[in-house]
Amino acid sequence: MLLALAWKNIWRNKNRSLIVVLAIAFGLWGGLFSGGLMVSMGESMVNSAIDRDLAHIQIHNPRYDENNDIKQFIPDPEKVFAVLKKEPDILAFSARTRFLGMASSATSSYPVHITGIDPEQEKKVTTLSEKIIEGDYFVTEHGISIVIGKKLAKRLKLRLHSKMVLGFEGLNGDLINIACRVVGIYKTESSMFDEMNVFLNQKYLFDVLDTQPIYHEIAIRSPNAEVVAALTLKLKKQFPALKVESWKERAPEIAFISDLMIQYTYLFLVFILFAVLFGITNTMLMSVIDRIRELGMLIAIGMKRVKIFSMILLETLLLSFTGGLLGIILGMGTIAIFSHVGINLSVFEASLESFGSSSILYPVLPAEMYVILTILIVATANIAALMPAWKAIRLEPAKAIRSY
Amino acid sequence: MALIEIEHLDKIYNTTAVPVKALNDVTLQFERGEFTSVVGPSGSGKTTFLNMVGGLDRPTKGKIVIDGTNLAELKGSKLVEFRLHHIGFVFQAFNLIPVFTALENVEFIMLLQGISKEERQKRAIELLEAVGLGDRIHSRPGQLSGGQQQRVAVARALASKPEFVLADEPTANLDSKSAEDLLTLMEELNREYQTTFIFSTHDPRVIKRARRIVTLCDGKVEKDETV
Ligand SMILES: Nc1ncnc2c1ncn2[C@@H]1O[C@H](COP(=O)(O)OP(=O)(O)OP(=O)(O)O)[C@@H](O)[C@H]1O
Ligand SMILES: [Mg+2]
Repeated sequence: MLLALAWKNIWRNKNRSLIVVLAIAFGLWGGLFSGGLMVSMGESMVNSAIDRDLAHIQIHNPRYDENNDIKQFIPDPEKVFAVLKKEPDILAFSARTRFLGMASSATSSYPVHITGIDPEQEKKVTTLSEKIIEGDYFVTEHGISIVIGKKLAKRLKLRLHSKMVLGFEGLNGDLINIACRVVGIYKTESSMFDEMNVFLNQKYLFDVLDTQPIYHEIAIRSPNAEVVAALTLKLKKQFPALKVESWKERAPEIAFISDLMIQYTYLFLVFILFAVLFGITNTMLMSVIDRIRELGMLIAIGMKRVKIFSMILLETLLLSFTGGLLGIILGMGTIAIFSHVGINLSVFEASLESFGSSSILYPVLPAEMYVILTILIVATANIAALMPAWKAIRLEPAKAIRSY
Repeated sequence: MALIEIEHLDKIYNTTAVPVKALNDVTLQFERGEFTSVVGPSGSGKTTFLNMVGGLDRPTKGKIVIDGTNLAELKGSKLVEFRLHHIGFVFQAFNLIPVFTALENVEFIMLLQGISKEERQKRAIELLEAVGLGDRIHSRPGQLSGGQQQRVAVARALASKPEFVLADEPTANLDSKSAEDLLTLMEELNREYQTTFIFSTHDPRVIKRARRIVTLCDGKVEKDETV
């Protein structure tokens, strides 16, 4: 009956309550939706980094990261491959020959990561093959074929079928220059990556280096993102002499930004609720002032102040919850719709790409965010109710009733 | 022992520039089953007096003992609880919760007393029938006339089974016909259930229905006559 009374009391002044309900609803709707966009941007950054190059787990020679030296390759790679092949949680892996070098065209040159891959294996681990916008993903042409990023092509003024030169230090310290022909130009979500990475078939590299196959990096893809942490741990134990890292360890900045997006969303929602708090307090305060005589009458006939307090609190909770629920439904609804359709933000493509995020976003929010938001709404309502409820219980019945 | 014993009651309001002595050495007793009117000119202290007896305000000096309980000894929520169980109130206006129906209004006070749903409803319907509103139990105050609203208030006051009912100018907002009807109802309830009524009024037609008339003047008991 007290609940019914509280609910009915809210709607005594329909406009006033509706305004605050809508303020809460639209505030949260906006907060949730933009949060969904931010979080999806973070996820897009993570996923594109994983799909582009990072994969789920990487293995290196522990000294490789010092300066990406060509001599710091993985010893006994065949043994490692044998173990990886038997691991059920590994979908595929790509062993890469990767070191620093200089890419030069007739006009200029630029430092790059030179990556020798087995095109078939790489295809199973990353999406490079799908990112080719001109030419093909490795066709056997006469000479050494190379696939370069669009940004680098622009910088070096290279086009499809152009010739270019790669320079790098060999295993014995000699400077080696090889002439290559551009057979494919790719474009990923990250323009920075596109500028700094060139790919060629590793068998050419083994030839010019005059060596047995050597590998600097093994990129591993798992069928299931959830097992990555456990799998990393397992591989770390299996290869104590090698550096085994999950994508989070390998690229902490990306993991960090993705987490940051979630934290930003929380912060954003807290700000919105904080603003809304004043609206709720104001509405409830007016509602208490409008009812001074009635509240005085209730205290007079024997309604205890604790009950009066609970009634005002309950009214505030119901009011906030109506708005909160509406906002959550609107937010969840729009997020659900756009998570299928996607939002095309190609207008901001350039800036999104410098973050390494796709320009088509599929907004998402972690489910626990809705739970925490609900708790936040309850907390907000409680704080908002304090002043009005306090005012109500301090009424002296004799005075309150006399005031007509 | 009398139901209500009042000794040397003073009430001074200090809220104004010049303190107002609204009650001046009032000593009175009320017995069970009384039907008493407190009268006097405007500003004579009727409302102040009823507020003191009803435990809505504290006297400056003096003692009020209701059925053996000294009101001065009841602190905070104890006093609220005492009002809930021992005193029924009918005010001049704003007696009812506007969003509740007549039935819910009468039920609500029993809810505060912790009475079960079935008993609440049964008693509320009985009382509303007793005040002649058996067919309007689902009407909200806004859909009832002033007289009908006051009848609901009387039913609500009786619902908590109080020792006595205090009514401060219950007929002030009513036309003479409704005022007469309300008085008739109160008289009937007084006769049938021995409910004690103490009410204040200006209205001569209401005064003449009382069986005891206490006249206040400048906060003093000027006359106390039984008819
Ligand atoms: N809260 C207050 N502060 C100061 N003075 C007050 C207060 N309440 C009442 N008074 C004064 O006390 C005196 C008695 O007032 P009270 O309301 O009890 O009279 P009353 O007999 O009920 O009058 P009425 O017939 O007009 O209702 C008046 O002089 C009034 O101005
Ligand atoms: Mg008065």
